[in-house]
Amino acid sequence: MSTAISRSDRASGLADAHALLRAGHTRLVSIFGRIDDDGFPWVHYLIDVDGHEYRHFCQQVQGAIPSATDITPAAAWYERELHDLYGIPIHGHPNLQPLVFHENWPHNLHPRLDTPVRGEYRFLKVQGKGVCEVPVGPVHAGIIEPGHFRFSVVGDTVLHLELRHFFTHKGIEARFEGIPVSSGAMLAESVSGDNCFAHAVAYSQAVENAFGLSVPPRGRALRLIGLELERMLAHIADVGALCGDVAFAVPAAYTARLKELLLRASARFIGTRYWRGLSRPGGMVRDLSDENLRELGIRLAGTAEDFAKLAQMILHTPSVLNRFESTGILKKEVARALGVVGPAARASGLKLDVRHDHPYGRYRTLALDVPHLNSGDVLARARIRTDEVAVSARLIADAIREMPSGAFSAAVPWQSTAEGFSAVESPRGELLYYLRIRDGRIQRCHIKSPSFQNWPALPMAMPGNIIADFPLINKSFNLSYSGCDR
Amino acid sequence: MIFDVAARSFAGKQVLIPVEELLGDCTGSRMPEVDPTHLNFDSAVRAIDSCPTSALRFETHNNSRHFVLDYGDCTGCGKCIEASGGALRVATRLTQCGIGRAALVRRWNLDTGEELTQGTEAPERAAQQIRKLLGRALNIRQVDAGSCNGCEAEITALTNPYYDLERFSIHFVASPKHADMLLVTGPVTRNMEEALRRTYEAMPSPRLVVAVGACGCSGGIFAGSYAVTGAVDQVIPVNGYIPGCPPTPAMLLTGILHVLGREHARS
Repeated sequence: MSTAISRSDRASGLADAHALLRAGHTRLVSIFGRIDDDGFPWVHYLIDVDGHEYRHFCQQVQGAIPSATDITPAAAWYERELHDLYGIPIHGHPNLQPLVFHENWPHNLHPRLDTPVRGEYRFLKVQGKGVCEVPVGPVHAGIIEPGHFRFSVVGDTVLHLELRHFFTHKGIEARFEGIPVSSGAMLAESVSGDNCFAHAVAYSQAVENAFGLSVPPRGRALRLIGLELERMLAHIADVGALCGDVAFAVPAAYTARLKELLLRASARFIGTRYWRGLSRPGGMVRDLSDENLRELGIRLAGTAEDFAKLAQMILHTPSVLNRFESTGILKKEVARALGVVGPAARASGLKLDVRHDHPYGRYRTLALDVPHLNSGDVLARARIRTDEVAVSARLIADAIREMPSGAFSAAVPWQSTAEGFSAVESPRGELLYYLRIRDGRIQRCHIKSPSFQNWPALPMAMPGNIIADFPLINKSFNLSYSGCDR
Repeated sequence: MIFDVAARSFAGKQVLIPVEELLGDCTGSRMPEVDPTHLNFDSAVRAIDSCPTSALRFETHNNSRHFVLDYGDCTGCGKCIEASGGALRVATRLTQCGIGRAALVRRWNLDTGEELTQGTEAPERAAQQIRKLLGRALNIRQVDAGSCNGCEAEITALTNPYYDLERFSIHFVASPKHADMLLVTGPVTRNMEEALRRTYEAMPSPRLVVAVGACGCSGGIFAGSYAVTGAVDQVIPVNGYIPGCPPTPAMLLTGILHVLGREHARS
């Protein structure tokens, strides 16, 4: 059930959430804060129970709250963010250093607090004979987003990796506050630019769930095509980039060509390369003609076939296997403890996929096979991506063939007041929007990004690997900086 | 296997797009353009009311009303095209790339329907110096100062076999110390401001800076956020602006060549 979100408003919401997390068979989805009309802070917990039901707990808090990190380490970054953005002290947190605000942040500037608490950031100092520190970033060598990585190495071998992100923190959640519900999709598209359609759909669905709206079948099918096409683009580019990182230039160029072919087909038949400006609450902004969809479908099918053959060659090339196999292993227990989602989770033996676990839109009527592997290395993450391209291509072909006729959008009561959630399986994993709407304007928007969830897992896959394999391992996770930093 | 991959690649047909087709093309960018024959006061009001950024606005000069379209602020959301009943339409050609900030702003006199002309600018001194020193060669260092990664995806596409930036002797380099041009995306965030300034300072002279995307040009939809300093030119001097959200690879290429004064270049 997609919208099966049971909400507890009891005064013991926080204790209930902790108890549920402790009980097992649960996964922490998100922790976030909110300030109510009287200026009091609230803490919200979102928990996935048994992989098929989301539960929501919230409680008004005064003073400190106990940390959930001893129950699940996945809470660590959420609680640090809560501390930074809402000034809520967290008892028992092992490392409550600043996450969002850096040293050169203007001292008295804070989105919500008059007297912000500002701590000093200290990297973990690894000591011993021959230990060196290698700082990398925020400005990197390639055309990539900014973030800081601090390696502690002995020779080439990495002992410890520490991340310092939030360089692209744009205050997007605060940016949502006060804008009309009808304008939110545009902002959602700019949270993580290469997953823009997934963000727009997740936002739109949150509004639809809040108002109890149902998108017409044609709108649902069109959204599925966009979402799966975005997944294909992401995975094809990732496999190519992995080849680039092991100096296998020909397939890297070939995948770049396949990706561009899809983008150009979208531009020609849909009018936008990345499906921006297409999803809005209620359905789609405009209809796409059956003729154009067929043309797009022909190119998609050809590309998927081409990619499958290419991937087969790549993953059977000994020099590639030599670099991919047993590199950057993320163990299943670690992935579970950190609440890892998306392709990284599925490559580490966790069968998590929102499309399957909490189906939404057209996915409710589909039987979806979730490919998963157990080795948790770069090879497994590459294989998951190549397998998923084939699944996505099939889903798109089916949707185009069985395209329902009729309306592509439903009417939205723009001036209403409501609260809603929605989760979408973006190419990077579980993406969730939480919205509170009053009189047609957004009061609070929380974005649970799969990258925020997965970044802490990357350092766990590094120790024991050589530093030269870092770009490869990092790319195999392919996390968004902007999506994480928001 | 390596040979299979190579053979497959060579067997594919040539996809390189001729430079004549690329320059000025903006297909798929969703940028709007004005159709002056349908532009009147009513359609202008509807378009301006629908614009979620400040890309569309009225201005009054000497008692005549002007309709202003600022490409530096436009995210191509398409709302004005939907609302204006034909006065704005999706553009397929956009030459307003790689030019000064003021030149991104176009104006129409609503009483006469005529566009108010702007002077064309000569390539800047830094661009002339670079051309004199290096001929056609150019090294670019890209910096993401807070972007959503949309612009990065399109900049990366410049190196694919369709656009093949290297045919113009233009390379992306890993260090600002090797660069002649800094390609900056994103609204500059407070956390990135210092890093951007230091990257700029590390570049040798003569140097060029190009602001990319609605966010880079004007701060875009993030202008005014507590976490954002603003447009790129609020932090370092900028020589050229490339609008779009994100700009397509063709727009990026047009803009880069325009800043260099090579807009009539052949590949």
